[in-house]
Amino acid sequence: MHVVALYWQAIVDGGGVDLELTAIAVAVSVVVGILAAVGRIYGGKLLGGAITVYVEIIRGLPPILQLFIIYFGLSQFQINLSSFSAGLLWLVLYGVGYAVEIFRAGIEAVSVGQREAADALGLTRVQALRKIILPQAWMVMLPSLMTFLVLQVKNTTLLYLVGIADIMYQARLGTSATEQPAIMYGMAAIAYLIINLTLSRIGSTLERRQALYR
Amino acid sequence: MSSDVVVDIEGLTKRFGPRTVFEDISLQVQRSEVVAVIGPSGAGKSTFIRCINYLHPFDAGRIRVLDHELVGGGAPPSKATLRQIRMQVGMAFQTFNLFPHLTALGNVMLGPMETKRVPASDARDKAMALLTSVGLADRAEAYPRRLSGGEQQRVAICRALAMDPEVMLFDEPTSMLDPEMVGEVLGTIRGLAAQGMTLILVTHEMQFAKEVADTVVVMADGRVVEKGPARDVLEHPTSERSRTFLTRVLKPLETVEDGQEQGQHGGQESGPGATTALGGDHP
Amino acid sequence: MSTLQLWGQYLPQFLAGLVVSLQLTGAALVLALALGTLLVLARTGRIRILAAIATGYVEVFRAVPVLVLLFTAYYSLAQLGLRLPGFWAGVVALGAFYGTLYGEDMRSGLQSVDPGQREAAVALGLSNGAVMRRVVLPQAFLAFLPPGTNELSNLIKDTSLVLTIGVTDLMFQANAAAAATFQPMDMFLLAGVVYFAFYILLSRILARWELNVQRRRS
Ligand SMILES: Nc1ncnc2c1ncn2[C@@H]1O[C@H](COP(=O)(O)OP(=O)(O)OP(=O)(O)O)[C@@H](O)[C@H]1O
Ligand SMILES: [Mg+2]
Repeated sequence: MHVVALYWQAIVDGGGVDLELTAIAVAVSVVVGILAAVGRIYGGKLLGGAITVYVEIIRGLPPILQLFIIYFGLSQFQINLSSFSAGLLWLVLYGVGYAVEIFRAGIEAVSVGQREAADALGLTRVQALRKIILPQAWMVMLPSLMTFLVLQVKNTTLLYLVGIADIMYQARLGTSATEQPAIMYGMAAIAYLIINLTLSRIGSTLERRQALYR
Repeated sequence: MSSDVVVDIEGLTKRFGPRTVFEDISLQVQRSEVVAVIGPSGAGKSTFIRCINYLHPFDAGRIRVLDHELVGGGAPPSKATLRQIRMQVGMAFQTFNLFPHLTALGNVMLGPMETKRVPASDARDKAMALLTSVGLADRAEAYPRRLSGGEQQRVAICRALAMDPEVMLFDEPTSMLDPEMVGEVLGTIRGLAAQGMTLILVTHEMQFAKEVADTVVVMADGRVVEKGPARDVLEHPTSERSRTFLTRVLKPLETVEDGQEQGQHGGQESGPGATTALGGDHP
Repeated sequence: MSTLQLWGQYLPQFLAGLVVSLQLTGAALVLALALGTLLVLARTGRIRILAAIATGYVEVFRAVPVLVLLFTAYYSLAQLGLRLPGFWAGVVALGAFYGTLYGEDMRSGLQSVDPGQREAAVALGLSNGAVMRRVVLPQAFLAFLPPGTNELSNLIKDTSLVLTIGVTDLMFQANAAAAATFQPMDMFLLAGVVYFAFYILLSRILARWELNVQRRRS
């Protein structure tokens, strides 16, 4: 059992790395995602079309392939990103592709009547978005945003492939040192369980709280 | 007389959890009798009519439907008994509940094919005949989404009739319909009554009840507050509770519905009630 | 060598990899649908303990990343004495995860059917089996299709994870070619084109199928 004690700290450290990367990537992709969603809805054919193509590419390619294109592929052109920047860049690019769709669906779920009412009040588009539409869309989007957060945490499992010292990296390191994969990957599973179940618990609490204000 | 009682309800009691919906209800329905159940919203009319084909189990009392005996409280009846009852007792719902993935024809064919193993061609002939009889032959291939409410309810009635039921239950068959469609559905039901079908219907259409029903049952506050020949109950209610209920529903009828009713199904009106203005005796 | 020449040279290998990816997808899909059905039966059934187990399973397996499940199926099970070949470890891991998603999709499909539908079928005298077969399932299936096909395209992408345990799927071939040619971008782009072409093809086919099913019923 002392193997567990010995390697748990490493797993926890890996979890810290995962969470840090997830937090930065999600924050950036939410901001960019809102802008891109607005661009997709109001931006006309060209911008809207470009964003749609981007979303399709992100959704159409396997995550591993995207990561490898950024880390290994770019090196063919002498663009050598560090493990950390390549990992973060991928999480952001991937996250934006998902966030756009979440925000688009959220914004479009707010009724036309609400938008018209905002127009009738003489609000600008930005004001309408900030004061009227997004606050209502928030409620609709909350579940998918929480799913998105969990998805990004899961995506960090791939980062060990480019050498980032996350949970999987530590678990593999531990496995080669101890030859005890069952314990090591078991610990990794538990670490992810704790993170993701906590996130979904927070999510459902928020949802319930929001529902009260309805 | 008792030999021709097709539905015999005695001491029926129904609870949802701690709440008693109704208590100790008794009713006898003769073959070819038309019984209208009326009463305020929440009185338990739907729950009552659903007990008759055991869509709801009940807590006490007993119901004899044709040759089948249902007893409240204890173990549920056997599956075979239940299926027999449901094949012999047809039902039409307030919300029609047509199967949206089947055409009008498919809806009507389903029951006989599934329960009686009737060959498809026979089921189709019978379904077409039924749809034709309610004036929907040309809508046979349409899916429910493309049918008007009145058409949907007529298809739903055909679906039940395809099983050759001996008794038909209707739970507010017209209350979800736009006013201009009420007439066509009531016309269909009127036709069934004329053919001698035993009908038990929950309705808010007082004019129709007075014209077609033999017996009217007024439910309120979890009891039957009045029961008797339709005209007597509707025109001279004896119980205080049914009087207040009737004045409340009939007041608007006198002023608004009266003229409309005449215009709407003028062609179909043939019963004696059709020409009598309703509620003239009320204060 | 020019990119196009390289692509021409490696395309057969990539397509062989695609075939492995598809076999993996097919086998995992079968397992996932079977598992999903069992989970729904257990969760909606009357046996409390089975329902609790199924709920626990869904909660846990949904929260654990597929890669962890894959390593567990490949390395941990081997340590515990069950040595699965890489391909089957992939099938088990993907099936175990996607089974939870399919189970949830089936459940919400069933819940989307109006209770009045069941009631009307029962009132006609249909047996429980016929109520399910003729009335409830056809409607639940319609609601299940959109999330179900969405899950399928995710499953195909997730098969690429088996690269990490040495199964020679499309992603593995791309990675090997990238190392051999020192032109990783060219090789990964080719893989991207193959994946994307397949993704587009499949989503079009599934979308058309969905539309057909819907149209046939209106
Ligand atoms: N499944 C159920 N569980 C708990 N309570 C129920 C259920 N179904 C009905 N009730 C309650 O039983 C009472 C009688 O309901 P029911 O639908 O039979 O009334 P009703 O006379 O048909 O009214 P309406 O005219 O509005 O249709 C109501 O108070 C209702 O809230
Ligand atoms: Mg009712």
